[in-house]
Amino acid sequence: MKDIDIVIEICGSAGEGTISAGEILSRFMSGQGFEIMSFDSYPAEIRGFGKCVAHTRISSNPIYSPGKLADVLISLNDNHAISQLPTLKESGILIYDSQPARPHEEDKSVAGRTKPGMISYGIPLNMLAHKAAGNARGMNMVALGALSALFHVDKDRFTDSIKARYGKKKQVVIDANVNSFLEGYDWAKENIKKSDPYSFEGVNLPEQKEKLIVNGNQLVAQAALDANLMFYAGYPITPATKIMEILSKELPKHGGTLLQTEDEIAAIGAVIGAGFGGKRAMTATSGPGFALMTEFTGLSVMAEVPAVIIDSQRAGPSTGMPTKTEQSDFNSAVMGGTGDCPRIVLAPADTKSCYEATVLALYFAEKYQTLVVVLLDFFLSNSIKNIDVPKKPAKKYRIANIAPKKEDLKDYKRYKITKSGISPRAVPGTPGGIFFSTGLEHNEYGRPDYSQAGHLKMTQKRYDKFNAVLVEAPAPEISAMGRGKVDIGVISWGSSAGAAREAVMAAQKEGIKAASFSSMMVSPFPEKALIKFADNCRKILIPELNFSGQFADFATCILKRPVEKLNFITGRPMASEDILQKMREM
Amino acid sequence: MEEIRSAYLDETLDTVRAADFLQYRSKDLPTWCPGCGYFGIVDALYRACRELDLKQENIVTVSGIGCSGRTPIFINTYGFHTLHGRSIPVATGLKLAREDLTVFAVAGDGDALGIGGGHLPHVARKNINITFLLFDNSIYGLTKGQSSSTTPHEMKTSSHPAGNPDTPLNPIRLALAYGASFVARGYAGDPQGLKDIIKNGILYQGFSFIQILTPCVTFDKENRTWKNLKENVVDLTPRMEEKNMETAMRLAQNEPHGVGIFFWDKKRPHYQEILRNLNKGN
Repeated sequence: MKDIDIVIEICGSAGEGTISAGEILSRFMSGQGFEIMSFDSYPAEIRGFGKCVAHTRISSNPIYSPGKLADVLISLNDNHAISQLPTLKESGILIYDSQPARPHEEDKSVAGRTKPGMISYGIPLNMLAHKAAGNARGMNMVALGALSALFHVDKDRFTDSIKARYGKKKQVVIDANVNSFLEGYDWAKENIKKSDPYSFEGVNLPEQKEKLIVNGNQLVAQAALDANLMFYAGYPITPATKIMEILSKELPKHGGTLLQTEDEIAAIGAVIGAGFGGKRAMTATSGPGFALMTEFTGLSVMAEVPAVIIDSQRAGPSTGMPTKTEQSDFNSAVMGGTGDCPRIVLAPADTKSCYEATVLALYFAEKYQTLVVVLLDFFLSNSIKNIDVPKKPAKKYRIANIAPKKEDLKDYKRYKITKSGISPRAVPGTPGGIFFSTGLEHNEYGRPDYSQAGHLKMTQKRYDKFNAVLVEAPAPEISAMGRGKVDIGVISWGSSAGAAREAVMAAQKEGIKAASFSSMMVSPFPEKALIKFADNCRKILIPELNFSGQFADFATCILKRPVEKLNFITGRPMASEDILQKMREM
Repeated sequence: MEEIRSAYLDETLDTVRAADFLQYRSKDLPTWCPGCGYFGIVDALYRACRELDLKQENIVTVSGIGCSGRTPIFINTYGFHTLHGRSIPVATGLKLAREDLTVFAVAGDGDALGIGGGHLPHVARKNINITFLLFDNSIYGLTKGQSSSTTPHEMKTSSHPAGNPDTPLNPIRLALAYGASFVARGYAGDPQGLKDIIKNGILYQGFSFIQILTPCVTFDKENRTWKNLKENVVDLTPRMEEKNMETAMRLAQNEPHGVGIFFWDKKRPHYQEILRNLNKGN
């Protein structure tokens, strides 16, 4: 059977159906058994005619990153597509409108800008859309029709998929979309002489069980519901808002409560209040909101009250670039705030592990009575992947509070020193369990205590949880090392890990001896595993999406040896091509 | 000083025992200054809990930072001493997650109107079912006498030795303007009267805002002293029968030392009831 691995970008202006065309294409291809990963980019402004790009990678094999360059660029709007042309491969294919509503001024047509080696297919998108439905709205469908004809995609299955997508709409809407698709398909079949190598013909993938087509935000919300979330408080902020919107609909059905607060300070305050009450609680935010929550993160750790914060990172300090992706909250999440303040931080590497990370976050927070931060980013929050339906968490992960036993309540010490650092926790309403919690340093009863010995003992207790949680932390993902040393070990974290993994696989094919390491658990970090991995690597490369190499510096402290940094702040997800290029140069 | 009658002085112990509320007192001795008005406030709180026969384990007292922040240490309920200005959001989350509990949020004037002033409008307009006690001594006590949001204009303080340049806030007027449906003022020197107000606040199923006039005996020797309070505090109850907004606003404006329940909208549903009603249709 032949393989296919293709990146298709649809570029248009906001309101031209760019994003929905990408979504229809992804859903259809997923239904056909392909792996898909898609990532849309759009302006931060709601109004206006900003540039939208629907980027979709379709493959008959597992994929871990969205791919940097496109094999196919479909232009619904040449003004925008011209600026997208640099990400089209040198041998890429351009599909453009050959009879636009208004003729292009000289130099303003994307077809006139292609490089030698590229293939251009002009399709009268606008004309055919008018022919099909009387207006230009169906241009996106005409383009998909033409694409299907060119690449030998099954016409009938695709039209069935469009019908299903618009199934709930009026018949006239369904007809308009299907007819536009068919116009594009038939026109391309008759008029285009194919000169590219891409074809879906003969790619027959085995029947797959039903796949979920989701983004990270949707999975976080689903995981939280499955893991017994009972309270959510939040304040709208891109790119985390969708989590609140989903939960506002779903949480009441599960008997929980959602609160939209006046700011992020109140959101984390309410989460800690609910946590004090013994209910699982969470908030989601991005950099600016996370900064506001900092004081409360210290209280969660100090008073040992469970709290979960999802921080979907966006680019830059301050307001930064709200719709661009970056991994620059590492320091803030792992080390931010005041005092010696150990907290658990999880950074899922891909869409599907957003589910696992959220379940673990709620579990760890409750069991270890502390703060857990989950680091997503704009890419993970919004990129779409087709995945197997996640398995619901076992009871152990849904109910985890270690309650005091009868003998504990005789002389109840809420902050009793134990080997694991976990003290049995009474929830309000428990007779005999009355205690007092404070952000002040305190003794085992929770009463203020500023003695040297007391502060040392309690600080040690809070750090002891680190040892305990590491025992049940998810193991790092390490690619097969083979025998002997490798030349390059690529260590990555969060959403860069997929690209790193693909880069290492590609490097191995080129004869570079390489291996990859990534850990969802970033605080506390599985240091022993990291050191063991690095001992087997002649050189270390750490790619990440921030300017200064926040994680690389952190890892250097553990490894005590120099590492090679690779940093991007382009606002785009990590590309395996860039890592591979760096590996070749090393 | 002979005017000061703290609940913990020996001569009052018998009355305290007779009142049968010692189970609401923790074993820790308060760290407040002798003569502090806060003794009167917790005394009223114990009595209100006793009269309503609330179980200690079903109460949580949430506080912020400052002298008032220590309150939960001295009350035998579940207690949470949180961050400066943040008792309201913490109490809000707690109450929404645990409707079965009685939740007190306490705050000082710096807590509630300064650093945490942004939370007050929202807890009021949402009508979260908690009882909020504003320990208003019009000064920052724990940091030793700086101007607060209710310090009188031109009063000399350690942060404004030449006189406070700011105009003080009027907490009752604010609470009314924010849409709080139970707005009252009590006086720390009258634990019986304050107890009745707190009791009504607990009974009210919604956000009850209770400002409590209390002196800082250590850092305010001229303005809100026991002497001044004793001379000026006036019971407005007879003039408050109507409980309409116009009367409440007028009294709030004209009677800075008037105590009683200014406004009480008994019919307004609290937040969880509103949520239940809204979610019924979905």
